[in-house]
Amino acid sequence: MTVPPKSADAAVELRPKLVGQRIKRTEDPRLLTGSGRYVDDIALPGMLHVAVRRSDQPHARILSIDVGEAFSIPGVLAIFDARDIEADILPAIPTSRMDGYYATPIRPLAQDKVRYAGEPVVAVVAESRYAAEDALEQITIAYEPLPFAIRQVDAVEPGAPLLHAEAGSNVIIARQFQRGDVDAAIAAAPLVVRGRFRMTRKTAVPMENRSYLADWDKRRRALTLHTSSNIPGIVRDVLADCLDLPGNRLRVVAPDVGGSFGGKGSLNHEEMLVCVLAKKLERAVKFTADRMEDLTAMSQAFDELIDAELAVDAEGRLLGLRADVIGDIGAYSIYPWTGALEPVQVVSFLPGPYRMEHYRGRVRGVLTPKPPTGPYRGVGRPSSTFAMERLIDMAARRLGLDPVEIRRRNLVTAEEFPYRTGSGIIWDKSAFQECLDGACADYPALVQARDAARAEGRLVGIGLASYAELTGIGSRIAVAPGMPINTGTETAAIRIDATGAVTAAFGISSHGQGLETTLAQIVADELGCRFEDVEIQHGDSDLVPMGTGTYASRSAVLGGGAATKSARVVKTKVLKAAAHLMDVPMEDLEAENGLIRARSSNAVLTFKEVARAVYSQMGRIPYDQREDLVAEETYDPYLGTASASTHLAMVEVDRDTFGVTVTHFVVAEDCGRIINPLIVEGQVHGAVAQGIGAALLEEVVHDDEGQLLTASLADYLVPVATNMPPIGIVHIEADLPNNLGGFRGMGEGGTIGAPAAIANAISDALSPVGIEIDTLPATPERLFRLVEAAKARMARDKPAE
Amino acid sequence: MTARPEITITVNGIAHTRAVDPRLLLSDFLRHELGLTGTHVGCEHGVCGACTILLDGRSARSCLLLAVQLDGAAIETVESLGTLERLGRVQEAFRSHHALQCGFCTPGFLMTITDMLRHHPLESDAEIREALSGNICRCTGYEHIVNAVRELARERGPLK
Amino acid sequence: MKPARFDYVRAEAVAHAAAILADAGGDGKVLAGGQSLMPMVNFRLVKPSVLVDINHVAGLDKITLADGRLSLGALVRHRMTAENALVETHIPVLRHAMKHVAHLTVRNRGTFCGSVCHADPAAEMPMMTLLLDGLIHTASTRANRVIAARDFFVGSLVTALAPDELVTAVTLDTLPEGAGWGFAEFARRHGDYALASVAVVLERHGGVARNVRVATMGVGELPARMDTVAAALEGTAMDDRVLDGAVDLLRAAVSPNSDLNASADYRRHLVGTLARRALADAWARAREAAQ
Repeated sequence: MTVPPKSADAAVELRPKLVGQRIKRTEDPRLLTGSGRYVDDIALPGMLHVAVRRSDQPHARILSIDVGEAFSIPGVLAIFDARDIEADILPAIPTSRMDGYYATPIRPLAQDKVRYAGEPVVAVVAESRYAAEDALEQITIAYEPLPFAIRQVDAVEPGAPLLHAEAGSNVIIARQFQRGDVDAAIAAAPLVVRGRFRMTRKTAVPMENRSYLADWDKRRRALTLHTSSNIPGIVRDVLADCLDLPGNRLRVVAPDVGGSFGGKGSLNHEEMLVCVLAKKLERAVKFTADRMEDLTAMSQAFDELIDAELAVDAEGRLLGLRADVIGDIGAYSIYPWTGALEPVQVVSFLPGPYRMEHYRGRVRGVLTPKPPTGPYRGVGRPSSTFAMERLIDMAARRLGLDPVEIRRRNLVTAEEFPYRTGSGIIWDKSAFQECLDGACADYPALVQARDAARAEGRLVGIGLASYAELTGIGSRIAVAPGMPINTGTETAAIRIDATGAVTAAFGISSHGQGLETTLAQIVADELGCRFEDVEIQHGDSDLVPMGTGTYASRSAVLGGGAATKSARVVKTKVLKAAAHLMDVPMEDLEAENGLIRARSSNAVLTFKEVARAVYSQMGRIPYDQREDLVAEETYDPYLGTASASTHLAMVEVDRDTFGVTVTHFVVAEDCGRIINPLIVEGQVHGAVAQGIGAALLEEVVHDDEGQLLTASLADYLVPVATNMPPIGIVHIEADLPNNLGGFRGMGEGGTIGAPAAIANAISDALSPVGIEIDTLPATPERLFRLVEAAKARMARDKPAE
Repeated sequence: MTARPEITITVNGIAHTRAVDPRLLLSDFLRHELGLTGTHVGCEHGVCGACTILLDGRSARSCLLLAVQLDGAAIETVESLGTLERLGRVQEAFRSHHALQCGFCTPGFLMTITDMLRHHPLESDAEIREALSGNICRCTGYEHIVNAVRELARERGPLK
Repeated sequence: MKPARFDYVRAEAVAHAAAILADAGGDGKVLAGGQSLMPMVNFRLVKPSVLVDINHVAGLDKITLADGRLSLGALVRHRMTAENALVETHIPVLRHAMKHVAHLTVRNRGTFCGSVCHADPAAEMPMMTLLLDGLIHTASTRANRVIAARDFFVGSLVTALAPDELVTAVTLDTLPEGAGWGFAEFARRHGDYALASVAVVLERHGGVARNVRVATMGVGELPARMDTVAAALEGTAMDDRVLDGAVDLLRAAVSPNSDLNASADYRRHLVGTLARRALADAWARAREAAQ
């Protein structure tokens, strides 16, 4: 099945050296020895600590704030509420060009009203976090409770209490995607399956809690923010406006960052807060969230209600899909993505990787008094894939078709690319069918094993999920609908300095992806220098004029493309200089592993020798032909590229406890040219673990009073080692995409496919009692209730004896 | 009963004497008093395992220990396992198996595994996964960590 | 998430610890393994005026056998219980239960007596203490007491221990040779607090069950002994019909609460399922006693 890769970019194709190898990571030695430097590891002279008093009300007016004896606690320096900093910072406005959208302003501390339990209200600054927390206990806030609707089905109703009166409605986002005549298609279809699907609210739980340290330089009137963010460039740009500081006096640095998965990929209240306080107090000010705060107030995710109907013909061919989605976006629209990011993506991606003519997807994003939703690995697609893949299996079951066969009949085939979906997404050529084949290599044996287990009375099932995603998106498409910021370009500034060392600086911000390694692989290959001579810099707004960060499976594609472009320019300069020095035509030179050789002679120069000649040994190169060995090129893939995958899960449901064990898991994926297989496999494993968490364990629960019930890691359950099966990975590298390097983004995929595959597997396991999973996570409690209901249904339907 | 008792804790073989607030957590003592920031704080309620250290040779959560109670104790942290130039064996196995991504949980895993390799059989993958189940990693899905530990356990051989 | 202020005393002896607790006027807390206490201290859910550290009190870390009972001192860590030969020989069900107690690292520190004092309704050690007719030995400046497990557990996280008392040891019944035991537990993830758990010990005499004891946890505010269930099994041959009846009886006897993880209905179902497994295992393990 392996087809030799074809590339639009033959120059890369001819000599893959480091790219493709299992190179050990450059990041590892520091991280393994405890020498990493995360924000909370940074201690600056005179640094102060902030603790935040948060709202215990879901929706209330702040009547008064009494600090009690807080100032008598040793080490407590200052206490602030919104009024004290109002003049010092403008709110961040997550604007969008979407029709009818209302942008809720984001402030460091709640002003007049609180809109979710956990929203920051008062900040205490003290010499230690211990003292600051002591002071929190002294503070009394009087509230006037306001009415609210905590569930999206209620909040969306016309008469529901308004969370932002200025918006005039709780529904601040409404979009529709349409093609063809879906109503007619459904009315005429031989078979229609439908369901109300719900992927409950999640949170990212990076192991490092959020941490922000702002340092005000009085002398320069300049601010440096050290932040555990994966979007330092975006944070710099917005805070420059909020704080009225030019970019040359506002530097945002993300040092080592302990994971994000999207949770650290939006502007946070406390990020704004430390900046204001540092400027006001002229001291370094640090806020490090504790786990309870991150579980309570970090951006959350998913939480849509998807009513969907799928029409198929008698052969299982998809005719049309009609969906109505209500996204619970929480109390605020998040910066910069807006509350539209997640729910709109659901209706954009619902048609999936399938050929289907008629589609209508309607979505409303509704405000509720909960933490704002933001990006979380997969964004929208875990939910859309869950709904669509469930409908496909439901249709297959009704038609007596095998789940593999129905997918084979409907997945877009090689000849059909580029394929435009009913929502307008264009799939470029990707291995849709090949991934299905790849994941199902052992399918017949697994079916046999399942059937044998069933014969013993065990509840064993197999589930598939196929999906495609857009990755490495260029400037043509906004990552979030109507969003005014550019996320489609990436710059690499590469320089060879006077010592011959290579430094490549980017606007991306690696936080676990190993980009210091993979980008160095690309740079070394392109330049012909030694891997160990390349230093990759990232995560610092000062490195390139404009950069955003690492998110949306973009950094290998965009960062890799920018690295390639810049490295090629630098290489030309190196070879030009070497040609002078060696007195051979430039075309006769090649660079490899730090050496520049002439094909026609034995002459050899090192990069260091060339650099010395260019920068220091005046006269060796004519002055009018001397060029610094630097380049700063920007890459814009313009469109995006599709990444495709099929996941296969096998599960066993304990028929007594209803605990689910994932016994077998396979991912077949097409991520284009693989830069480093070790890293690709690690990303797949990690993303699948989060998908398994979403499918079986993870759920943010707010009670009817708007209080969070999952505020500790003993309540919000993420997978541990015993929850995970070994994961089989099948790399499919079919035709490479038409971008520089031939890379496709792949960081999020595992989280997109796994929940759907597991839901399908559980439904298969429970098919003897006719259960179709429509809500995730499929907890023992939910399965118990489904089985009880099914039993009651069967008893009722049984003819009386 | 003193307000700030003076204590001496041996950390990675070096004795440190400090007067400490009784409520100071060991994790904060290591990070803030000694500047040993390799021990990470992930939850402060004993669930995530990021702050795991060795106390008198056995793994323990440093967020659930008070510095003051450890007068006379010996602590080992991730900083004791190897250097950037010369990684320790567990660290090297993590690197070659790509058993870390963001690196935040890693010190806790390394210390847990150091204890497990000294004291537990680790004969099967199931046993390895059980031994690791008190530490949360959000990046790796655990598979590469299990691979690294399997190699280390095989290399070590059966426990005496 | 940092603790509120407190004083700290390293106790040199039980009497010393008791004296400090007495002085604390009800606000003192005993620090042993700290695996349950310290999270609550960090969350500021518990704000003691003084922590009395008993980790250095000599002699509390012993597991001893006397008069047919096993005594576990206040500093016996879960790991010691799990690895102890006396436990393995005399109370194998306890050794098995240890596998379900949190994780290896927590077991390095956490203590048996501490878990009993914490009295979490979903923790294993309180249930095992109840199952094995444990006696809780306490000390204070007023008097030393011995409290029966049945009287000790009062509510969720609430015990009969007075604020000035500390537990010095718990003694447990040992099992006769050949006694059968079963232990079944279900948790969402390995090492988590259980959704429910059932432990059983019994003997087999003349082909029928004798001295049946059944305990549950996770299905109410307290761990519980299921005496009616045990009584119904006494003298039976533990066949399917008997077990079905016992499970029905047990499901009717428990009054679980609904919470984040599970509804009362599910817990009632679950505890019955677990009981059936534990009872069947116990019966299978029981060897016919020599007459």
